[in-house]
Amino acid sequence: MTMIRADGLGKTFRVARRRPGLLGGLRSIVDPEVRMVEAVHNLSLSVERGEMIGLVGPNGAGKSTTIKMLTGILVPTAGEMRVAGLNPVRQRRELAGRIGVVFGQRSQLWWDLPLIDSLLLLRHLYRVPETRFNTNLAQLCSMLALEEFIDTPVRQLSLGQRMRGDLAAALLHDPELLYLDEPTIGLDVVAKARIREFLLAINAERGVTVLLTTHDVDDVEMLCPRMLIIDHGRKLYDGSVADIRERFGGERTLMAVMDFAELAALPHDDEGHPILDDLPDGVRLLRAEEPRIWLNFSRDSIPAHELVAWLGARYKLHDVTFQEPEIEDVIRRIYEQGLLLKQLSGHLA
Amino acid sequence: MIENMLSDLRLYLHLLRMQWRAQSQYKMNRAIDIGSYFAVTSLEFVGVLVYFGPFPSMLGWHVGEVAMLYGVMSIGFGFAELFGAGIDNFQDTIRLGEFDRVLLRPVSSFVQVAGSDFRLRRLGRISQGCITFVIALRLLPDLHWTLAKFIALLLGIASGSVLFLSVLLLGATLCFWTIETTELVNILSYGGRDMLSYPINIYNQAMQRFFLFVIPLAFGSYVPTCYVLGRPLPFGLPGEAVFASPLVALAFALSAGAIWQFGVRHYQSTGS
Repeated sequence: MTMIRADGLGKTFRVARRRPGLLGGLRSIVDPEVRMVEAVHNLSLSVERGEMIGLVGPNGAGKSTTIKMLTGILVPTAGEMRVAGLNPVRQRRELAGRIGVVFGQRSQLWWDLPLIDSLLLLRHLYRVPETRFNTNLAQLCSMLALEEFIDTPVRQLSLGQRMRGDLAAALLHDPELLYLDEPTIGLDVVAKARIREFLLAINAERGVTVLLTTHDVDDVEMLCPRMLIIDHGRKLYDGSVADIRERFGGERTLMAVMDFAELAALPHDDEGHPILDDLPDGVRLLRAEEPRIWLNFSRDSIPAHELVAWLGARYKLHDVTFQEPEIEDVIRRIYEQGLLLKQLSGHLA
Repeated sequence: MIENMLSDLRLYLHLLRMQWRAQSQYKMNRAIDIGSYFAVTSLEFVGVLVYFGPFPSMLGWHVGEVAMLYGVMSIGFGFAELFGAGIDNFQDTIRLGEFDRVLLRPVSSFVQVAGSDFRLRRLGRISQGCITFVIALRLLPDLHWTLAKFIALLLGIASGSVLFLSVLLLGATLCFWTIETTELVNILSYGGRDMLSYPINIYNQAMQRFFLFVIPLAFGSYVPTCYVLGRPLPFGLPGEAVFASPLVALAFALSAGAIWQFGVRHYQSTGS
C-alpha cells in the first residue's frame, strides 16, 4: 500500500522585500515588493508502507519545505499529494493524528518540566486512550532507556537524551508514518548509533514508515535502502544507495602491496613515483609509499579482477585491497558536477 | 459538538496545569511578579485619579463613579490577560516557528495557542481591580443595589473579558501576515483599555460609536457601570442594553474566531 504519493509537487514562496525605515516599512505593507522564490519544483515521489527513505540535499535544497508540505502545514502551489490516504491540506488535523514528526533542531518537549510531564500531556494533545498510552510508554521507555532521565526537567537533558525524549513524544500515538528532520544533528557517535538502532527497530517491529532528511550520509547508508537526492528544489536522484555508488561512484582505488626490492629497482619519475610501463587505459598511479601503490581506475575502463591479473602477471604481488568511493564523495560529485541534472535535462530533451 | 467542546476545555485545563507547574519551578519569581504587576497597575489608576485633584468631576462623573468604572474594566481586562496570555504572546510563537508544531497536532490550534501561556502575574491586575471596586463602593455610600444590577455587573465583567480576549485574538491573527506591525494591535487592546478607563462620553461621537458598535469594548465596562450607577447611555440606548452584553461579546468573539481561522489558512499557504 502506498503511504506517500506526490505528483509534480511545487512550492513557490512570495518573499516580500522590506524597504528600510519607518515609512518604508509602512509602504511595504501596503505595496509590497514581491520576489518569487521557488523552493520545490515538480517533485514526484511514491513511498510504500513500511519503507525507510532518506532525503538528502544541501542546505536550502527544499528538504524541509517538502516535509512541511507532506505534513499539511504548508500548502503546495502546484501538484497533488496523498499521505496515508488523506489529503494533507484539507485533512491536516486528521493526518496529524496519524503521523509523527521530529524536528532535530526544535524540541516539542516543555523546557521547564520533567520529560514525563510532556509525555503525559501529549496523551491529551493526541487523545490517546489511556491503556494504549501506557503500553506504548512502557515499550518506548525500555527501547530508548528513558527511565534514567524521565523525571529530569528537559532543560537539563543532554542533546542525545532530549532527542530520545522527542522520539518517544512523536511515537506515543502510534503513528503509521514518521517524519524526521535532521534527527542526528549535533549528536555524538554513540548517541547517533543508539538513535539509528532505535529507528531500525520501530521500522521492523511496528512497521512504521520513516522519511528522514539528513546531512549525515551515514544515516542514509545505515538506515535507508532508498534515498532521494534533491537540490535547488529538484529531484536529482531516487533509488538505492548501492545503485548510486555503482552509477556515479566514478573511480575506485586499488591498493597493492608490491615487492619492495622489485619496486625500488623500477625507474622513478620526478616526484619519486615508480614508473609502471604501459598501464592499461584509464588506470593511473595515484600515489606510492613503497612497497605500497595506489592505482585509480574507472569502472568502465577495466574490470577490477583484470587489473589485478595484469599486475600479477608483471610484478610480484603480495596483497591487494579495493577502496570504494565514500558515498559522501559521490554525492558531492553529483552536486558539483551537476551529474544528474545533465542526465535529467538530456532525458527531457 | 458538545463533546468536542468539553474535550477542548479539558485539554485547555491540562495545558494550564502544565504552565502552572512550569512556573512553580520559580516560586519566588512568581510572587515578586504578581506583586510588581499589582503595583504597576495601581499606579495606572493613580494616574487616572490625578485628574480629580484640580477638578471635582469628569463631565458629571464623580471620583467614586470613575473608580467603579476603572475597577470593572480592570477585572474584565485582567481575566482576559490571565487566560489570553498565550494569545497575547502569539507573535513569539510565530517568530520562533512553534506554530508549525501546533498545526502538527490533531486538536484545535486555538486551544493550543490559548493554553501555551498562563500569566499568574495578571492576578495583580485583577486584585487591583477588586480593590478599586471596593474603594468605589466606599466612595458611593448612597448607591442603591438590586439583584438586576448585580447580575448586570457580573455579565458585564464576563463580557468584558471575552471582548478583550477577542481583541487580543484579532491582534494575534495579524501575526499571520506580519509580525512587525503588532504595535498596531496594541493600540487596539492596550489603547482601548486606557481609553475605557474613562467614561466614553468624554470622547467625540465617532469614538463613542466605535467602542459601542465596531469594537464593542464599552459593553464590558461602560455599559454595565452606567446601569449600576443609573446613568443614561449615549445614542439613546436603553440601560437594559447591558443584558445584551453577552450576545454582543459572543458575536464579536465568533467574528474574531472566523478571522483567526482565515489567518491559519493564510499561514499554511505562505509557509515558514
